[in-house]
Amino acid sequence: MVDQKIPSEELMARIAEGDDDAFELLVNRHQTSVLNLVYRFIGDRTQAKDLAQEVFIRVWQAVKTYKPEAKFTTWLYRITANLCLNELKSARRRKWFSFSRSDEDGGHAFEETLTDSAPSSEDLLLEKERNRQISDALQSLPENQRMALVLKRYDDLSYQEIGQIIGCSVSAVESLLVRAKRTLQEKLKNFEK
Amino acid sequence: MKCSNIQKKLSAYQDRELKPQEQEQVRNHLLSCRACREQFAELERVWQTLGGLGEIHPDPWFYRQVARKIKEPREQRLFPRLQWVPRLLPAPVIVSILLVVGILTGTYLGNILAQSNIFLLHYEQASETVFNSMRVFDPAPPGTLAEGYYRMASYKGE
Repeated sequence: MVDQKIPSEELMARIAEGDDDAFELLVNRHQTSVLNLVYRFIGDRTQAKDLAQEVFIRVWQAVKTYKPEAKFTTWLYRITANLCLNELKSARRRKWFSFSRSDEDGGHAFEETLTDSAPSSEDLLLEKERNRQISDALQSLPENQRMALVLKRYDDLSYQEIGQIIGCSVSAVESLLVRAKRTLQEKLKNFEK
Repeated sequence: MKCSNIQKKLSAYQDRELKPQEQEQVRNHLLSCRACREQFAELERVWQTLGGLGEIHPDPWFYRQVARKIKEPREQRLFPRLQWVPRLLPAPVIVSILLVVGILTGTYLGNILAQSNIFLLHYEQASETVFNSMRVFDPAPPGTLAEGYYRMASYKGE
């Protein structure tokens, strides 16, 4: 098994040479962050798992052409963001063509979030309700604002990195975040802890 | 610096994206201005609230699933994406049902009308009508101005 301290860029080079262990290490290293980025953006647990797996399949497919020009996570998140945005577009098309109810396409967002401890059923209900409120507020944001906000809040990326991921300037990222925060302030005005 | 300028920078200040000098200016302003401080506190409250959203953990077999999907032929891997196709079925099914119901209703009503006396033509009337309709391509079909003209032209005073 390859060393845990090897940078991801180096792992990509090893994968290109046919090292399957390097790919396993890369997936294990980034799976949680990719999964949660998709989950927070899409709002659906099952869909998030499928999409996160698809992200790593894209990584595998791009391994020969990968050039470490930017940080590996920036490149990885760019793939993730593109997949998420494409998925939302396809979901809209599917919804338009089919008679599916809106809650089948992510309406039950975040409801399955589990905690490590074993809280009472009342606590679980409260937790679920809080998650639903936050999720609804997040899902109400336009796609670019939501992606910028998720990358800032949960991955603590810089404006420059966010700009590279979603393909816009630093000032545009700043503007997206100002608007997103303003909307969330309004939506979460009555949120109770 | 004015409050309005500070408030525009609060989001970037919160994200530590201002230049060090600006960061310092905003910090000093917040110490002395209650209104801006309250606004910043509200931003922080929302930020904290968002932090309450739970994290999910990947399955232990996440990598194995990825590896399996990579080895699968592309067609098989894409097939699960077509799971939504059955949900499209209601549309063609409903259209087909409407079509069949329409044809059956049309046939039934057509038979009723055909059997009723109101719409039955007498045999002679029917024959005349059919005969006239067959003459529609004549140079002067019956009942037209052209036929009147021909009659006038061929009139010999008898």
